[in-house]
Amino acid sequence: MKENSEQVIDKSLKLAVCFFIASAGLWLLAAAFFAYIASAKLTDPFFLSSFELFTYGKIKLAQANAFVYGWGGNSIFAVTLWIVARLAQAEARGKVLLLFAGSIWNLAITFGLLGILDGHMTPHEMLEMPVEVWPALFLSYGIIATLIIVVHRSRRIKNTIAPQWFLLASLLWFPMLFLIAWNGLELNAARGTVQSVLSMWFGQNVIWLWLTPVALGSAYYIIPAILGRPIDKYYLAVFGFWCIASLAPWSVVHHLEGGPVPMWIPAIGTVMSIAMIFPIAVASTNFHATAFQDINKVWNSLPLRFVIFGTLSYTISSYIGVVFSLPAVAKITQFSIINEFHFNQRVYGFFSMIIFGMVYHMLPRITGNEIAKSAKSFHFWTSAFGVLILLLAYLIGGLTHGVLAQQPSLNWASSVISSVKPYFLITEFAFIVLGFSQLVFVINVWKAIMPSPFELLYKLNLIKKGAIS
Amino acid sequence: MNNLLKFATGIFLTLAVAWLAFVVGARVQFGDLSPISESLDEDNEIPEDADLFPMPQPGLAELGSSEYLALGCSTCHTQQVRMVEAGFDVERGWGQRPSMARDYIYQKHVMLGNTRIGPDLTNLGTRILDTEWLHKHLFEPQAVVPESVCPPSPFLYEQQEFSSDHTIELFDEENNSSRFLAPSSRANRIVAYLQSLKQDYELPEMAFIEEPEAIDLEDPSTSDSDLATNGMDLEGSALPTWLSQQLTSGKEIYSKLLPGGGMCVACHQPNGQGLPGAFPPLAGSDWVLGDKERLIKISIHGLQGEIAVNGEKYVGQMQGFGQPLASPLDDQQIADVLTYIRNEWGNSVSSISPEEVKAVRDSEKDRELTSMWTAAELNNFDN
Repeated sequence: MKENSEQVIDKSLKLAVCFFIASAGLWLLAAAFFAYIASAKLTDPFFLSSFELFTYGKIKLAQANAFVYGWGGNSIFAVTLWIVARLAQAEARGKVLLLFAGSIWNLAITFGLLGILDGHMTPHEMLEMPVEVWPALFLSYGIIATLIIVVHRSRRIKNTIAPQWFLLASLLWFPMLFLIAWNGLELNAARGTVQSVLSMWFGQNVIWLWLTPVALGSAYYIIPAILGRPIDKYYLAVFGFWCIASLAPWSVVHHLEGGPVPMWIPAIGTVMSIAMIFPIAVASTNFHATAFQDINKVWNSLPLRFVIFGTLSYTISSYIGVVFSLPAVAKITQFSIINEFHFNQRVYGFFSMIIFGMVYHMLPRITGNEIAKSAKSFHFWTSAFGVLILLLAYLIGGLTHGVLAQQPSLNWASSVISSVKPYFLITEFAFIVLGFSQLVFVINVWKAIMPSPFELLYKLNLIKKGAIS
Repeated sequence: MNNLLKFATGIFLTLAVAWLAFVVGARVQFGDLSPISESLDEDNEIPEDADLFPMPQPGLAELGSSEYLALGCSTCHTQQVRMVEAGFDVERGWGQRPSMARDYIYQKHVMLGNTRIGPDLTNLGTRILDTEWLHKHLFEPQAVVPESVCPPSPFLYEQQEFSSDHTIELFDEENNSSRFLAPSSRANRIVAYLQSLKQDYELPEMAFIEEPEAIDLEDPSTSDSDLATNGMDLEGSALPTWLSQQLTSGKEIYSKLLPGGGMCVACHQPNGQGLPGAFPPLAGSDWVLGDKERLIKISIHGLQGEIAVNGEKYVGQMQGFGQPLASPLDDQQIADVLTYIRNEWGNSVSSISPEEVKAVRDSEKDRELTSMWTAAELNNFDN
């Protein structure tokens, strides 16, 4: 009986979730393509230099936006919709509306990225897409979020659990953050560096309050679901959630250390960054204490292997983040390529790995098509290898960059940056590996959604049977 | 947490508190900053007839800031000189003082940036006065800074075979031929913007940390008046031309913090007094006024360890300017800067010629350029 109701729910979700995952995959490839071009331009400045569309600065921003809004946004919709519906034991509503809003979201990002490449970007972090596309993005987000909340509100069990808190909070935080930023940067624009404070606060919070909670919520859902055992020390989760909610918005501004902003802002940011030790410790205790009770099962289940890679990465990256927010360390690394380390650690090593695991968990249930274990395993190892190489290169390269930059006697181009060049080459290699790995992921996803594309065409009566033979 | 409305209110409040503090707080504190004079009078009022800073951006520069934004330059270039305790930006010569919020009130796009793959550009307008250099750098950075990783922007220029009005010559050493660049209006806007980037004034909340004359040397009017106050008249007939040329060039090398300069000023200070306990003085120093060979050796190979200057002990190291890592100085440049320090701040002894530098270089050609001298080593040779 229960089995049946789950199948009914999955069936109601099939169209929308498949649409979001398939689009997310394509954006992931676009981001990988931009990432490769950007890294290749750093090793050879003359690469594609005669095309104005491909200046390094634009490509870099296009990559970040394709990654966060294209891949991140679509996969957030897919994962949130599915987990919320499963936990609510309720069917999805408004399938057509979901598809419609999803198409607008993707179209708006497409125009937004073209706008960036054409030089119409704004100077605000993670809001670089031209102002014209934001109303469309906001509207389509609103429709999708409302439909997910409708599913949540029709849940059968009134009590909510950890995955629901994190997913719904993320769903609600993004529009709140956006309205605050839009008000302060466009409607009632402040002058001078007050703008910089707000744009940095928004840009960092998009990572901390939008991407991060979705990944954490997914981990809280999938670890007990696959292992069949409850989260260890679950009573800590509520403490962890409110710690993130109340500390993260404060901690993100420590990047402004020493800059032309009120001095108390980075100072508070640093203190709050150190306090972030508590929620990080809660999440990693919850995840790892549960997972390590049955490590064989974790290793043998590929979705879970991805997720645990992600949660370990979260723990490590967050602790490293705390160390790098200390003023003595920040002084050295503040403007170095260590920033790339933080960004990629969070979005690749943590967020994306957990989403990969979730997708491999969801897709067979929704479509009924299994994905070959060898294909998933290949994706896992190439991803893990690529991420590791990438992050090591940015970490060691960033430290080199920062330490040399602190020696005023060294010439900038010929000593400081020349010493970092070898690391640029390594990141170029890592992005090739990652791009390849993501191609495998997208093929896996598309094969699960459409095992034989021609069958669909038959169904739609576009090709008459026998016409091919 | 089961009631969605209460839950949403809760997470909104946690966000809103941080927003109130940072954004509203910053706005209340810095939102209505206005231009101000470099210093205030006794009553904390702006003196009458004083120039107010910052000045609004020129129109062309404001257009240029949009082009700069559109090309994505701020991905690799910051525009903020950090506080002295937060980094070595001032020592590196990227500004005479840390940047203040007031400096940015007139900027159309505030692009503080967060990564420095390229150098900071807050004060580019005071460092590089040469328009052609900026155009060449924009067209092909590697033509002027060979190691640069900055991507070229050839689409901002039209290339010609022959020179005409407003073209810039780009000499190609390999083919021994020249190309001529005709800048587009966008290129001119960007260069105007880059030249407008300067925080070369003091503010009541932040005075200069580096002395202004240390950097303003390219401006002939200030260097003349400086020399006049120092009791040396370069234009006067008392000095032979070659010596006055050596002194002018030496002063430039001493103060310049860019490639081609010696950056001496960063440690030994504009007044040649050094910093007590950290960097030894050059003014009246027994090492500067004494044996020439010893002085030349230090400037080529550098010096490390303990050294006694006028009886005071100093421990540290100074890199040599023959060293390949930095931008090395040639014999003439070393001779110029040594002649300058031997005849500035009340010092007045014989000049040093490039031949003398070459002689020392030749006699020590087996010594690695990176192997620094110690004071004991140098004094042994003396005896």
